[in-house]
Amino acid sequence: MTATNSEAVLPAQGIEAPRSGRIDPKYLRSSASSGSFEMVAWVFMRVSGAALVVLIFVHLFSNLMVGEGIHQIDFAFVAGKWANPVWQFWDLTMLWLAMLHGTNGMRTIINDYAEKDSTRLWLKSILYLACAVIIILGTLVIFTFEPCLLDDAGNLMDYSPSFCESVVN
Amino acid sequence: MSTPTVEKEPASKIDLAESGDGAGAVQQFDITLKVRRYDPERTEDAWWDEWNLTMFGTDRVLDALHKVKWDVDGTLTFRRSCAHGICGSDAMRINGRNRLACKTLLKDLDTSKPIIVEAIKGLPVEKDLIVDMEPFFQSYREIMPFMINSSPTPTAERVQSPEERQRFDDTTKCILCAACTSSCPVFWTDGQYFGPAAIVNAHRFIFDSRDDAGDMRLEILNDREGVWRCRTTFNCTEACPRGIEVTKAIQEVKTAILTRSL
Amino acid sequence: MQVHKYDVVIVGAGGAGMRAAIESGQRAHTAVLTKLYPTRSHTGAAQGGMCAALANVEEDNWEWHTFDTVKGGDYLVDQDAAEVMAKEAIDAVLDLEKMGLPFNRTPEGKIDQRRFGGHTRDHGKAAVRRACYAADRTGHMILQTLYQNCVKHNVEFYNEYYVLDLITVEEDATREDGTTYKQKRVAGVVTYDLASGELHIFQAKSVVFATGGLGKIFKTTSNAHTLTADGMALAYRAGIPLEDMEFVQFHPTGLAGLGVLLSEAARGEGGILRNSDGERFMERYAPTIKDLAPRDIVARAMAQEVREGRGAGPNKDYVYLDLTHLEPEHIDAKLPDITEFARTYLAVEPHTEPVPVFPTCHYAMGGVPTNIKAEVLQDNEVVVPGLYAAGEVACVSVHGSNRLGTNSLLDINVFGKRAGIYAAEYASTAEFVELPEAPETFVTEQLEMLRNSSGDQRVATIRAELQDTMDLNMQVFRSEESIREALDKIYELKGRYQQITVQDKGKRFNLDLLEALELGFLLDMAEVMTVSAMHRKESRGGHYREDYPDRDDENFMLHSMLYKDPGFETEGVKGIRFDTKPVIFTRYEPMERKY
Repeated sequence: MTATNSEAVLPAQGIEAPRSGRIDPKYLRSSASSGSFEMVAWVFMRVSGAALVVLIFVHLFSNLMVGEGIHQIDFAFVAGKWANPVWQFWDLTMLWLAMLHGTNGMRTIINDYAEKDSTRLWLKSILYLACAVIIILGTLVIFTFEPCLLDDAGNLMDYSPSFCESVVN
Repeated sequence: MSTPTVEKEPASKIDLAESGDGAGAVQQFDITLKVRRYDPERTEDAWWDEWNLTMFGTDRVLDALHKVKWDVDGTLTFRRSCAHGICGSDAMRINGRNRLACKTLLKDLDTSKPIIVEAIKGLPVEKDLIVDMEPFFQSYREIMPFMINSSPTPTAERVQSPEERQRFDDTTKCILCAACTSSCPVFWTDGQYFGPAAIVNAHRFIFDSRDDAGDMRLEILNDREGVWRCRTTFNCTEACPRGIEVTKAIQEVKTAILTRSL
Repeated sequence: MQVHKYDVVIVGAGGAGMRAAIESGQRAHTAVLTKLYPTRSHTGAAQGGMCAALANVEEDNWEWHTFDTVKGGDYLVDQDAAEVMAKEAIDAVLDLEKMGLPFNRTPEGKIDQRRFGGHTRDHGKAAVRRACYAADRTGHMILQTLYQNCVKHNVEFYNEYYVLDLITVEEDATREDGTTYKQKRVAGVVTYDLASGELHIFQAKSVVFATGGLGKIFKTTSNAHTLTADGMALAYRAGIPLEDMEFVQFHPTGLAGLGVLLSEAARGEGGILRNSDGERFMERYAPTIKDLAPRDIVARAMAQEVREGRGAGPNKDYVYLDLTHLEPEHIDAKLPDITEFARTYLAVEPHTEPVPVFPTCHYAMGGVPTNIKAEVLQDNEVVVPGLYAAGEVACVSVHGSNRLGTNSLLDINVFGKRAGIYAAEYASTAEFVELPEAPETFVTEQLEMLRNSSGDQRVATIRAELQDTMDLNMQVFRSEESIREALDKIYELKGRYQQITVQDKGKRFNLDLLEALELGFLLDMAEVMTVSAMHRKESRGGHYREDYPDRDDENFMLHSMLYKDPGFETEGVKGIRFDTKPVIFTRYEPMERKY
């Protein structure tokens, strides 16, 4: 720009800007996001998806195919499994991955389909709350699970797993 | 290498008697053209207009629109320029799919039903089939669509092997018609997504061996409105009038961002 | 009414406009006014290549290129300009490469080159590989690359602003010999914002015209709907002459019936033209370089074949472009777009079938006269300070009476760059010319007239009749009779144009209104072209008179200059003054043009 152009009428001085500078505010990206959250989320979806396939199918196999199959499932069966730290870890991983995977999927769907920011905020708040409740509850159950329950008389409940006999006595 | 121009006996390759119908025998048929109109100077709401037209075998949707504009209703408004699919002015929604009006032959559409033409989705409609393209070009500008090379300028050309040149060939074909971006459901939601076209143009430079700013572009597209919003619905690839494998390009950019982060 | 002030205003955002903007934008406060989004410009439709004597694949030098350009233009080329262009071609290509243009490469990684019509080694000995290319999308790549660099340099674009008037003032001036004359000076332009329908005035020290051509004068054309001679007509109305307007190039290979361009590169890669007998007829017309003869010769040969009954198809009205003997992979690699055009528009498979082709209006060799600094001339010598022109709208004249293939992409880059540099340079020292009182009056009146007209004439009808008559009478074969017929028709149409009406009365995106204005430009330029053609009683390059089939250097080795001047009459048409301008010779004497 040359010095002689000082009196040029520029958009800032009250003249409407050329359209090339005028953009519907709806399309302006509010701020550049920092970090790589979306990338991590994207990778997580793929890794957790693959892990869940293994976790879920082994879970289904051990519950439904091995031994008596579907007929063996009762309180005792579950209690028996969770007495084993391997299964505890297995189910914990499955719970966390499945919940985070599903929640992130829902988050994406809300992002893609909710058109208003406020709608989005509400839906996501509910989603995250639900997710947190289920994860916390599930984790608590896995770690604080009491397999050998006694009735008022101090006897083992009759659906207790067999190893309780030795524990109680 | 050029193939030498050797003489060939025409009879061996061309049966001229049979190929005689090339562009000659043009059939004629009737169509109904149904266009979604909008003109805030006339009325606030959009409306539909229908015209019955007699068209010819080589006519395109653009010819039908012109026929209406020139012979029936001069207020019908749409952008067009080159009329053979290289300027990218006339992307519109034809029977629900994003197409260039000048590249869509009427005879390839189902003429027994009305041909439905609307403005492309996701960008503000200004009048009839004209949309505001500024948000689209803004995204394009944001990915730095120009070569950045900080090494000293050589006196002759920068060397690039045919293989390196081939690497980004597909994405150099983009004509910025917005058919892809406006076919993307993610873009329709809130217009925040950079969109396929911007990513395609970033791809063109990221994979150009002469360019130094690939990292910066990858960083830009690592945004929450960047490549990670792509859901691989392939709408963009299907819509591209230039046959660019848009979704593949987006996936390649994702891979590049990942590789760089690891 | 808004008034904007810029040092440099560039009108048009095709190759020449954006090339100028890249230079000017870095030196001065620059605005680009364009009636289309920049990437819609018709530079993008160019296909085959851009010639420069890089000698990357074969021995070559710029002097041979100059010679080919001069001979290709049938010696009506200003040789100083041709030299500048051929010499600067090399840098022009390298500039583009450094801006990022993805040229095809040789195995060594250098820019690849291919053969093209009329480009030869050692003054016509054989075809030479001189055209730098990117498949058959060279123009597309140039347009995109230039736009990308405009984005890089933050060039200010006013998109969809139609320039409707050039504001000039006249001052009395005195020549060295004491005679007086009227010196024109440029003050700015009046523009129409398509989106809002508002007029904007741009006051500028320098104005660069890069508005492109006039293809829509003809019915069969490779040109875009938007190429309506705007720049030429505006300059002409402002009293600036137009040079060599009779010379229009018809590209030999347009898709029959449609006019969609199929690049000369198809023949550069080995394609052959055949008539209905399957004969390679170009052997008879140009025995040495056959199908790669310059475009005027090939186009005429094709038209001649059809006239003599050897045309193909049910109406015997086209010939064939045969690619079937080439390897399909080779065709797909080097000519992907044009084969797709054949498939899309004519349902012809070029791998196995010959493609129906016929000449299509392609390029205007003439235009606004400029010197090699891209400065516009108001007569044979006097420059209009601050007014520049480059590209198809200008006539430097590097193309003479027939442009060689690829030289237009070269022209826009070489002279676009020059225009940008000189315009910015001029603006750095010059003062703004004061705007006359209410400079928009003429445009306002015109718009009001069109909006409120009670006439019954339709734009499309008049335009179609104009295009029909031009196709019929002013194409590759012309004669006194046919030109007269065209002139009579144009006269009639200009009368009817006064009674024109537009249906769209709105302000928003009123393309109906602008098509009416564009028709006015077309009619004016058709008239100028036809008068100029009538006056040139010889055959040269793109202008072929059946009543004068030979070149006549004695009487016509001169540029035609046509002025809008109410006091004169030329060839029976009132309001046009005819003059001539000598051709500049440097090293080549006119010879018979044989290939």
